[in-house]
Amino acid sequence: MNPMKFPSPSSAEAVIAVSGLSRHFGPKLALDDVSVFVPRGSVMGLVGENGAGKTTLIKHLLGSLQAQTGRVRVFGLDPVLDPVGVLGRVGYLSERRDLPGWMRVDEYMRYTQAFYPGWDEAYAGQLLEQFRLDPAQKIKTLSQGQQAKMGLLTSLAYRPELLILDEPSSGLDPVVRRDILEAIIRLVAEEGRTVLFSSHLLDEVERVADHVIMLQRGRVVLNGRTEEVRGGHISAVLAFAETPVKAPVVDGAYAVAGYGSEWRVLFGGTRLELEAAAALIGARVVEERTPTLDEIMVARAGGKGS
Amino acid sequence: MNIGRLGWRTPTGAMLWEIWGRYKVSFLWQGVALAASAFFVYWKTHGASESFGDLLGVASLCCFLGAYLHLMVCFGYMEFDARRVQLGFPGRLLLKPVSTARLVLVPMVFGGAVVVTIFALWTGLVLPHLSAINVSNLLWISTVLLSLFWWMQALEWSLPLLKVRSVVLLMVVVIHLLVLVLPQMPANIASGWQWRILAALLASAVPAAWIGLKLMRQGRWEGPSQISMLWSRLRLERARGARKKFGSAFGAQFWLEWRRQGLVLPGVWGGIALLVFPVLLTGFKWVGVGTPPPEAILVIMLVLPLALSVVWGFALAKFDLFHSMSELPVYIAVRPMTNGGFVMAKLVMALAASALTWLLTVAAACFCLAIVGTGTLFSKAELVTPLGPVAYMTGCVPVLLLLVIWTWKNLVAGIGAGLTGRSWIIRLIPVWRSTLLLGLFALVVAARTYVNFRETLLHWLTGILIVCLTAKIAVAIIAFVLGLRRNAITARAVGWMVGGWLGCGLFVAGFAGHVCHEINKPGLWMWVALGGLLVLPLADLAIAPLALAWNRHR
Amino acid sequence: MQFQISVQNGAPIYQQIVEQVKLLVAGGRLKAGDDVPPIRVLAEQLRINPNTVARAYLELERAGLITMRQGFGTTVAQMKSPLSPKEKLKILARSADALLADARHLNVPLEEVIKLLREREASMQPESTQ
Repeated sequence: MNPMKFPSPSSAEAVIAVSGLSRHFGPKLALDDVSVFVPRGSVMGLVGENGAGKTTLIKHLLGSLQAQTGRVRVFGLDPVLDPVGVLGRVGYLSERRDLPGWMRVDEYMRYTQAFYPGWDEAYAGQLLEQFRLDPAQKIKTLSQGQQAKMGLLTSLAYRPELLILDEPSSGLDPVVRRDILEAIIRLVAEEGRTVLFSSHLLDEVERVADHVIMLQRGRVVLNGRTEEVRGGHISAVLAFAETPVKAPVVDGAYAVAGYGSEWRVLFGGTRLELEAAAALIGARVVEERTPTLDEIMVARAGGKGS
Repeated sequence: MNIGRLGWRTPTGAMLWEIWGRYKVSFLWQGVALAASAFFVYWKTHGASESFGDLLGVASLCCFLGAYLHLMVCFGYMEFDARRVQLGFPGRLLLKPVSTARLVLVPMVFGGAVVVTIFALWTGLVLPHLSAINVSNLLWISTVLLSLFWWMQALEWSLPLLKVRSVVLLMVVVIHLLVLVLPQMPANIASGWQWRILAALLASAVPAAWIGLKLMRQGRWEGPSQISMLWSRLRLERARGARKKFGSAFGAQFWLEWRRQGLVLPGVWGGIALLVFPVLLTGFKWVGVGTPPPEAILVIMLVLPLALSVVWGFALAKFDLFHSMSELPVYIAVRPMTNGGFVMAKLVMALAASALTWLLTVAAACFCLAIVGTGTLFSKAELVTPLGPVAYMTGCVPVLLLLVIWTWKNLVAGIGAGLTGRSWIIRLIPVWRSTLLLGLFALVVAARTYVNFRETLLHWLTGILIVCLTAKIAVAIIAFVLGLRRNAITARAVGWMVGGWLGCGLFVAGFAGHVCHEINKPGLWMWVALGGLLVLPLADLAIAPLALAWNRHR
Repeated sequence: MQFQISVQNGAPIYQQIVEQVKLLVAGGRLKAGDDVPPIRVLAEQLRINPNTVARAYLELERAGLITMRQGFGTTVAQMKSPLSPKEKLKILARSADALLADARHLNVPLEEVIKLLREREASMQPESTQ
């Protein structure tokens, strides 16, 4: 199998093109000059704290929110002006699942099927069996994990070109999370499918996403390929010749924590820059490694780095 | 928090404070309505003309009924559970360290006391001035009312399955109505046993509520019952064999609307017309009280569905009966369908519901007439000829169509306001409609009392109607153009809306022409035809997709 | 073919796959001609992005460890590497630098490092001799 069958994301056209998007809710600024480009065939992970603006951004992509300033284009179309053209090619799983509790599982599948000509009945049946959902059961009697699976089933069954997932794994046990990840990867393995998902489970994002965007208080603070984002940070231990009286300030570090003469820092930059910054305050680097996305996010969000 | 200031740091105090806190505004409005009711009666007895006085009486009665029913709902003490699934006793109270007896008794005792007191006060102070109804059985009626209230509470709290609950509630209401008329029975039966029946009914309400709530607390009602699981499975098997797929997206959306709301009007009206009315009439006949004349029954059967449709029309914009109107469910908002498509699904659902309602009405009318006897209804000379009844029947068809169209118009007019999803607009809907109604009412009253005003009005009426019609068409055109440009509606939907409006308008005009010709007042035709075109919804429907777009894309 | 992918440690995922394949081949658990799972299957199994797997395979093919053929799937290649001795040593130099840097941080003398290398080599012999 030719590995080049999976199109190189950087050369493809953008399925999602958001530029300069800002959004106010009354006095609160939810999104501040956000620009996102998701090329076809890529998996984009959207990370950030609660309230950072991830769901707001996703709602703009679906046309549920109108862009106050800036442009939002999905498949080159404006989701507000052409909901049919955009939504017919998008599969969406919302954070709170938002399913009609009164419908049975099979009724909801029949209802959804009518809207999408590309519905694959065999695939839907296969997913139904794999997710172990009972078609006669009412959706309101399903557990949280089953509801998430139901939502995912009806978003995957018509093989959408773009799959948008808002916190697909939230509140779910590891077994269900595994099922969901497998289903997502199967979709990505087909040509041309794009996935955008927001998640707090950063190890999932690292495994599955090839691009990462981090939002903080409505601004994009990190944007790039997963390895590049990780590679652009260093988690290092600095040893001080003289024990500092209080927490040292390291130029370019996002988090500093420790005690006594050894302090761990999460630094954004190259190794040389780190050594220079350390030398400036009279310390040397004794240990270094590449931090995980988790550590990067917590550090940048203002928490105490490990 | 003012709990301490209440002084009653007891669970009872907390429960009462909570009712007060939740319904403060409602209680205020109810107080205003009751005061208005009293005021109308006072006005009536102190120098209002005869016909105006009648109107004031009706207004007073409406105010009272509205306030009273709302009061009963407030003290019904119901809440949606956490997942917006069931309406019943507030689940969080079941987890508090409070005995079931107290949970049951507080709303029952206090609610019952308030309900009975307000009723007694009103019937004692206001009703005598309103009409000449003899309310000597005040005690009897109050006790029946109390029993009904307590049974309603008991059932609302303990039966979680909505369908079962509705059926049982209806049965309970019917039982109480029958009990109400018990004192009218012939006097040769001992008079004490009526009170014994009522006492039994009353006394069993509280233990029933207690048992129901206890079972609820122990989780006996959790999960789908065996019956509902079996039913689900049967329906699944049936659906598996039948049409597996919807023919189109529109079909699916229509199915959703029908399942959620389609059977509300036909169901409620059907229940009343096919169950309550025949039972009442049979009861009256059996008891020996005279039944109302068939003309009166037919008039009620004509008026009630129209009135009900106006009431339900407020809620048509909802996408789910149990959600508030400002919520557009996500699973609908992300469907690849134009806003016009969603609106059309609602319109077609309303039409189907109207048609079903009137079919049920015809059946119910036949049923009731069979019980009561047709009396002088069909004694016209034309019916004696062999073709007479057939002609009569076919003559009824256009009338039925007209009624279906009228009901549909009641349901659908003003749907745009509800679809906007903005709560301030939704709250203004009743205000707007009442203002319109009052304005029209004032116009009619003024026209009847001031002859000069009537003359000028009639002189200019055609012109006024034409101007209004032009404005309506202009608004509709602007809305359609905007909608088409923004992809909120397809050209096909526009065609259906305009075609439907023209078609119904022509039908109404034709029918009016025929009637005017029959009653020999050809001059009236122009006004009726123009009025029909004006009243039938076009601008409303044109605005609706834009309103939904405003909701869907915030 | 079983892999352990850890997100926690510093190396990118594709590199972890490459290293583990190299270890398996060097240790004899993967012999020449053995089938390597297709990209899609491995991605689903490990629950990682197929592009990552594709990149790992590309790197392995470039290093001469596997051959990918259209229609015939992927197999482990013969041990003949197309690289020149100088290129091979250049690749090894990278790993050597990393090892020596760690040794310096931990203050382990060079003789100990060489002794360690010999021990690890010995333990890597195919299982048949144990």
